[in-house]
This record gives sequence, structure tokens and C-alpha cells, in this order.
Amino acid sequence: MESFLQTLIAGVLLGGLYALIGIGMTLIMGVMKIINLAHGELMMVGMYIAFWMFTLFGIDPYLSVFIASPILFFLGILIQRFLINPVLKVDSILPENQVILTVGIGMVLANLATIFFKSDYRATPVSYGTSAWYLSDYWESAPFDLSLSVPWTVSFVIAVAITIALWFFLSKTDSGKSIRATAQDLDAALLMGVNVKLMRVVTFGLGSALVGAAGCLFIPIYYLFPSMGGQFTLIAFVITILGGLGSTNGAIFGGLILGIFESMTATYVGMGWAPVGRFLIFVAALIFLPGGMASLLKKKRIGK
Amino acid sequence: MKRLSVMMFMLSIVCGAAFAGPATAETLELGIPLPLTGAQAKFGEMEMRSYQIAMEEINAKGGIKGMTVSLNFEDGQGKPEISRAIAEKLIDVKKQPIIFGDYSSSCSKAIAAVANERKVPYLVVTGADDAITQQNYEYVFRMNPSNAYYAAGLGSFLSQVVKPTSIAILYESSDFGTSGADEMEKYGEKIGMKVVVKEKYEKGAVDFKPILTKVKAQKPDVIYMVSYVMDASLLMKQIKELRIEAKLFAGGAAGFAIPEFINNAKDAAEYVVTATLWSTQVNYPGAKEFAEKYKAKFGDYPSYHGAEAYSALYIVKDAIERSKSMDPADIRAAMKATKMMTAFGPIHFADKDGYQNQNFMETLVLQVINGKHETIWPESTASAKYVYPIPKWRDRK
Repeated sequence: MESFLQTLIAGVLLGGLYALIGIGMTLIMGVMKIINLAHGELMMVGMYIAFWMFTLFGIDPYLSVFIASPILFFLGILIQRFLINPVLKVDSILPENQVILTVGIGMVLANLATIFFKSDYRATPVSYGTSAWYLSDYWESAPFDLSLSVPWTVSFVIAVAITIALWFFLSKTDSGKSIRATAQDLDAALLMGVNVKLMRVVTFGLGSALVGAAGCLFIPIYYLFPSMGGQFTLIAFVITILGGLGSTNGAIFGGLILGIFESMTATYVGMGWAPVGRFLIFVAALIFLPGGMASLLKKKRIGK
Repeated sequence: MKRLSVMMFMLSIVCGAAFAGPATAETLELGIPLPLTGAQAKFGEMEMRSYQIAMEEINAKGGIKGMTVSLNFEDGQGKPEISRAIAEKLIDVKKQPIIFGDYSSSCSKAIAAVANERKVPYLVVTGADDAITQQNYEYVFRMNPSNAYYAAGLGSFLSQVVKPTSIAILYESSDFGTSGADEMEKYGEKIGMKVVVKEKYEKGAVDFKPILTKVKAQKPDVIYMVSYVMDASLLMKQIKELRIEAKLFAGGAAGFAIPEFINNAKDAAEYVVTATLWSTQVNYPGAKEFAEKYKAKFGDYPSYHGAEAYSALYIVKDAIERSKSMDPADIRAAMKATKMMTAFGPIHFADKDGYQNQNFMETLVLQVINGKHETIWPESTASAKYVYPIPKWRDRK
């Protein structure tokens, strides 16, 4: 029982962070119809910002969210405006050449980081890095002990807060609605007077800012090296597919499912199997649920 | 600025040549394959600096047999095929009578095959794969203990002090991790220690808590982990978070023995023991001096790889000086008769337990005490008394 609950806690915390990584990619996928395979590398950039802010100025990584996100927002805008847009216009033999371009952007970012910061492992040893709350400290006669790591919990709470803010932005504001309109039907949005071009630029910036924030939330609990991006691109990709290409709500559920599934696999099957579990989910989603979580959510709504 | 630095460099070469001890017409050129670029470059660089320190010392004292030593570093990029090509060049073109160096096991293996075939002695400096000195290679010598003996010191610490009855083994899914875990499992069987969990993980994992939860439920006496530095810090941090109370937390070298481990894991690193081959405060002659010299020059302490490289040049010097001629066969005979003390420890190449020309030596155990690595085992070389039993997490401040 203790093992199960502790694993569940770990899974939910991990899943919340995964969701934030996944949402950025999902947004970009929804509006631009391309998979941004430089996503993990953008997260790496965000982490380096948090790392240097901590090392040089002693700024807490969590505060760096407010520094890294705007920087990543503008980096995203630059990438979209000057690299991806020109390629979108060109007729080429390969139909998905923008996707290949994002792979290239990712490689350039990873290699630039290697040149500037060396391939050393970096971390921000924050003072609360190993603190945790224990059930037995608050409830003496607890039948079992559960623990809740301070940095993990803080990261999770901020991730949830960012997600709620994003949901609010997308569903309640004008610009948010325009982004959703562009994602749902490009031509109709164009006819309704939505500035589709601008929305695309903003979306790419927003997606980058989100993953930059995720980077700041990850660094107190993880560490940093230039070639770490690929691993997180992959995770974001699986979540995007699982969530149903382009659905932000789907991505939230996708992230949580992935986090819990990975943790359960690690406890009850073996940690070496956790990556295998990840791809099992990926393949299963493609075969049995091609629309992802989004299609399930939609079905329920119609049922009501 | 750039021109200035080039000029300084030229100047230093000229000066270096002018002051290089007694002016000897002869120089002894030695080529050393090392990974100077690529993923292992960090270790290649450390070894290169250590070789250079040894070279300067040797030249200041008159060189080898009156010849000034000049080292050329060849970049093998950590790729066995390139290392092999470098070894071929050194043997066939440069006619170098003895080869030494390179970092990884796979590169050392590649060079060993060439050296033995061409009948030129090869001194393995850091490659730890057991098989390198188990292939009846007459011409291949190894100064570092092989993987199987890496944790020998930790083993004797466990059986004499901790006397555990159960152990949990966590290891990364690489050659290095797997062989380390298998050795510990074998050793556990030998001293009657039950292996309750043996789990591998993918390097770079974010969350170890699920697997640690499983370990916690089994209540092992000892938790033994074979990991690189970042995984090592995450593991200890999360063990602290979950308050897993084992009698001892032990690391299988690599990640647990370097200062970055303490910097990252902070208070969670306290009292963790780890097997290692060498430490900067061990009382072998010249060890501390080398460590301090390295620190003064490059800003931080070397790991055991540096000590191995530093001592390797002295072993080569010793063998060449005792050798009848510069013929590879004579140098091989001299290598075989090596019996010397170095900053890395005693060196003697023996044929034992299926190994040939292998140096068997006592390995050390370190413990993190007050945020610093201290040598605690064997007690004859200890710099501090070990802390055992270790306090429970709950009782630590």
C-alpha cells in the first residue's frame, strides 16, 4: 500500500511536469501543423538561462521562470519568423521540410551549447534541494510513511498554475481565441479576419516560452547538459500523440498518464522497462486511439 | 591579443628548449594516444596534463637514460579504430619501442591487439575491462586493477565492519554498470549476503523514486549503486527524500568518488561510502605532491585517472632504464620485472587468477564525512576513522 501510494505521488508529480513540456509542442502542432523537433533543445536553452542566473546572480531557478520565458518567447518568434516561415513558402521535394528544419535547429542549439558551455553536467544546488514533507511528521500514528519532496511539489504547483493561466488565455482572451480558431480551421479563421500569420508567430513564441518555463521547473530536481534535449523532445512527442495532436486538454491528460504509467512500470516491472513502457503507450495510442485523449474528451461531451 | 599569445607560446618553447637541463643531443619522443575530443575528452585532458607534469619532473632530473623526454599526444577521439591506427603509426612508422596510454577499455583493447601482434610492449593505464589482460597477450601490461577487483576494498570493508545480510543493487544499464553489479552479486553470494533487489536503470532518468520505493519495502542492509555522477546525486537525494534507512549506502566508484557528487547531492551525500582506486590524500609517496602540483596549475584536484597517467610515465621510465637496450623485447623483459612504488601505489605485474601481466593492488574506500571525501579503508592508508553505524535520516539535522 505504501509502495503504491508513494509511486502514485511520484507519477502525478512527474506527469504534471511532463504535461507542461507536452503542451508547448501540442500548441505549435495545433496551429502550425508541424512537429517542432527542437522542443527539447529549447527547454535546454531555458535551463541554461536558469542555471546562469543562479550561478552568476544567485537568482532562484523558480524566479527564472519570469526571465527565461520572455527570452524563449522572443527566441521562438525569431525562429518562426526568419527560419520556419521562409521554408513554409518554398516548394520542395520533401513535403515536411519544416520538420526537418526543426531537427536542424535543435542540432545547432545543442552544438552551440556544447561550444559555449562545454559538455559538463551542470546543476543548481539549491538549499531546499533535498527537503521533503513527511506524513509521519504530521500524523504520528500513521500506518505508513509517505514523503513529498519540496522542489518536486513546488515545480508541480507552478506547472499547474502556468497550465491554468494558459487555459484562461486560450479560452477567455481575444488573442487566445484567435489562436484556437487558427488551430481549428485555418481558412475560416482567415475569412473571419484573424491575422493568421501573426497568430502563427505568437504561437511558436508561446510554445517556446512554455517549454522554457518547464526547463526552469526541471533544473532544481534534475540537471543539465547540452545534449539532453532529445530525451525531452521524445517525451513531448509521445504526449502530443497521446493527447491527440493539437489538443491542449488532451496534452494535460497525456502528460499525467505518461508520468503515472512510467512510475508504475518502474516500481512493478523494473526501471529498465520504463522507456519501453513509454513506447508501448505511444504505439497503443496510435493503433487504438488515433485521435488521442482529445477524441475521448470530445465523445463524452457529445454524450452529455 | 591572439598574436601576443602566439608569440608567448613561441617564446616559451624557445625558453623551454634553452633551459631543458643538461644539453643532450638526444630526445626520446613518445607518442600517447588519448581521447582529446569527443565525449571522453574531459578525462583525456586530465591525463594529458598529468603526463606533462611527470615529463617536466623527469626532464628536470635528467630525463630517461640521459635523453630528454618529449611527449606527443595523438587524439584518438575515444574511437577504437582511430586508436588502433595511432598505435600502428607509432609502432610501424615511428618505431616507438613501448606504447602506453589511451583511456577507455574499448580503445585499450584495440591497441593491445596491435601491440601484441607486433611484439611491442603496451602499458594499459586506465582501461578496466577484465578481458584486456586475460587473452594471453605476452606484451600487454596493465597498471590499474581490472573491474573485478575495483571494489575489492569495499568488499573487505563490508565483510569486516558492516557484516550485512542483505543488499540491494541498483546500476545503470551500460557495460560498466552491469559488470560492477554482477561482481557485487557474486561477492555477496560469497560472504552470505542476500541480494534482495537487483535493478538496472537507463542513464539520465529523472525520477528514481518508484524504484527506490521498491527497495525501501525490502529493507536491505546495504544499498549499492553503480552510477555516474549525476545519477548518483539524484539517487542519494531521493533516498533522503524517501527516508530509506539502510545500514550503509555504498557507491561503486565512478560517480560517487568525485567532488561534484558532494556539490550536487549536498547533505544527502553525507556518510556515503564508495570504492575508488586512488585519492588525493592517500599516503603513497608523491601522491599528495602530485595532487597539489596539479591543483596549483589547473585549479582543481585530479581524479585517479590523473594519478594513473602521472605514474605511467614513471613506470615506463623505470622499465627503459632497467632494459638492456631499446629493443621492444628487452623492454618487455624489464616491464615484467617491474617492482616499484608510484604515486598511484605499488606496481608489480603478475600472472594470477587467469590474468597475465596484471597489477593487483589494494583498492581504497572513501566516505563522505563533513562534506569531504576521506579515505577510511584499508585502515593502514586511512585519513580518517570511518563513521559506522551511520545516523538515521530522521535524526540528522
